[in-house]
Amino acid sequence: MVLSQKLHEAFKGTVERITNPRTVSAFKEKGVLSVNEFVIAGDNLGFLSAEKTRMNEYKLMIGQDSFIPSLEEEWVISYMIFELTTHFRFVYFFVRESGDSNKRKSYLPADKQFLITRNVPCLRRVASIQEEYEAAGGEILLDDDDNDGWLATHGQPKDTKGHEEENVPSMETLEISKKNTIQSISSHFGNEEEEDIPDMEEFEEPDNVIESDPATLQPTYLVAHEPDDDNILRTRTYDVSITYDKYYQTPRVWLTGYDESRMLLEPELVLEDVSQDHARKTVTIEDHPHIPGKHASVHPCKHAAVMKKLIEPLIAGGVEPQVDKYLFLFLKFVATVIPTIEYDYTMDFDLGGSSST
Amino acid sequence: MAGNENGPVLQFAAFQSSVDEGFWHGLSSLKLNKLKTDESPISITGFYAPCSNPQVSSHLTLLTESLPTEPSDGLPTETSHLKKFNFYYWFAFPALVLDPPATLVNLRPASQWFTLQEAESVSACCNEWRMSSLTADVPFFLVSISSNSHATIRSLKDFKACQQDGHKILFAFYDPCHLPNNPGWPLRNFLAFISARWNIKKVQFLCYRENHGFADLGLSLIGEALVQPSQAWQDQQHVPNAVGWELNKGKRIPRCINLSTSMDPTSCGFESK
Repeated sequence: MVLSQKLHEAFKGTVERITNPRTVSAFKEKGVLSVNEFVIAGDNLGFLSAEKTRMNEYKLMIGQDSFIPSLEEEWVISYMIFELTTHFRFVYFFVRESGDSNKRKSYLPADKQFLITRNVPCLRRVASIQEEYEAAGGEILLDDDDNDGWLATHGQPKDTKGHEEENVPSMETLEISKKNTIQSISSHFGNEEEEDIPDMEEFEEPDNVIESDPATLQPTYLVAHEPDDDNILRTRTYDVSITYDKYYQTPRVWLTGYDESRMLLEPELVLEDVSQDHARKTVTIEDHPHIPGKHASVHPCKHAAVMKKLIEPLIAGGVEPQVDKYLFLFLKFVATVIPTIEYDYTMDFDLGGSSST
Repeated sequence: MAGNENGPVLQFAAFQSSVDEGFWHGLSSLKLNKLKTDESPISITGFYAPCSNPQVSSHLTLLTESLPTEPSDGLPTETSHLKKFNFYYWFAFPALVLDPPATLVNLRPASQWFTLQEAESVSACCNEWRMSSLTADVPFFLVSISSNSHATIRSLKDFKACQQDGHKILFAFYDPCHLPNNPGWPLRNFLAFISARWNIKKVQFLCYRENHGFADLGLSLIGEALVQPSQAWQDQQHVPNAVGWELNKGKRIPRCINLSTSMDPTSCGFESK
């Protein structure tokens, strides 16, 4: 895995350097985006970037069973968990950033290198909702004959077994701890307390700086107690960024996690917030193209195929899909990979063009 | 909670810091390539936005662009010469201490305070304020409500003019805090300013908060604070007390971040697992 991943990255990097970016649109045929289309789709998504009203109302046009796609490869993808009868409302608040200037991609506008939304709450670990979900009926595998691995929601409730039967708390049972000192999990990027911490007592403070102050609220934290009492804090936050992957010609989603005190989470811990079907398979830890450091990312190797499958039934239904809505649909399926990271704000959604209304 | 006959002491939720990894990379580069042994202070710019989610507060954030100099001006980002990749840092969000402290008369969701008509008008003009590139980054402003429930936003310097109009005036600020019973940190110095500048004893304030990018008057708070003019402050020579060191897990210690995994070229590549 490690070696092959490394080799692949090297190969991918070389291909990216020597090939020109896609300029001809093929999103309907292949589910990929050209560079320009990525910029256009991002303009539509990044509400700060455009004069467009932020609350465009989109009506959902996708509503048939045939909408559930199938794929050739054995790849566990449960992206496509759409409620087929209700209308969605999506709003995403991504803003444009130019990122690290040394990492700027020349084929993208300098001020539109990627999209990011910061400080997105993630209140609980994904394991807890998966167990609740299974208890409520869970997912059923569709098209099992073809080994396509597509999952649909709302199967029959089944006996939960196999996994350790833990009493996973729901949101209702979260305790608000009044403790001032928190019990933290180790966030590997901080808490290096064995290191020599400079003695801040040496600093000379001005005379007027005081320590105790009745007008400062004593902090409290939202703390949850896991059954095995490892005290996982639920109030993680995430920066979710979308970059353009030149090799796969699709958008790519990256996750940067923080613990409750906004200290960086080690990317490995981010995998706790990824659907366990995808952790280490579709979600990998790699160098971010615009931000320093290693970050978790939903690997884009199947994105085009999925997007194509999403778009095909629309075209078959006589709806002309619009490229500027690509990211809306894209983010909807990414949401199923990272179900507890709440960046998806409902809004009616219409992939199609003017023919629909 | 300490207080007096005027009600409880108004307590402010402290600011929280958040440093983007890119900031440290930029700072290392700046230190190695430009500042070198120069230890004089450099100015940096932090960013914050109004609280935009009912469950988490906004943080004061340092990004790569918080640094004064673009580290990219021909400077390489090579950081391998730093022996360790530990950064110790400690934020202070200085706030003046009112003496005696301000007390709270009442505080409730803005949606309960406004009439429906007012709420609609306030939301509309706040959204407009936030959408305009001219005003989006102005965190303190006045909300002026006329007798026919029409709200307008004015800049602070128009305070006297607003007063003469006889409108209801709220001192509004972008509130990074999400808590339902406490305003966030920026109100502290704002109150001190209002008291010192206009000698107002009863201040009606609006903690402006958003939900998913739009004014949310259910989350926003309106409160009324009593500020006693401090005798000591009349003295030109007086230096008021200040607070604001950020606590690290409840303690007065610096924070530490170790970025060896992302900066150290010797711990390269993928973890072998």
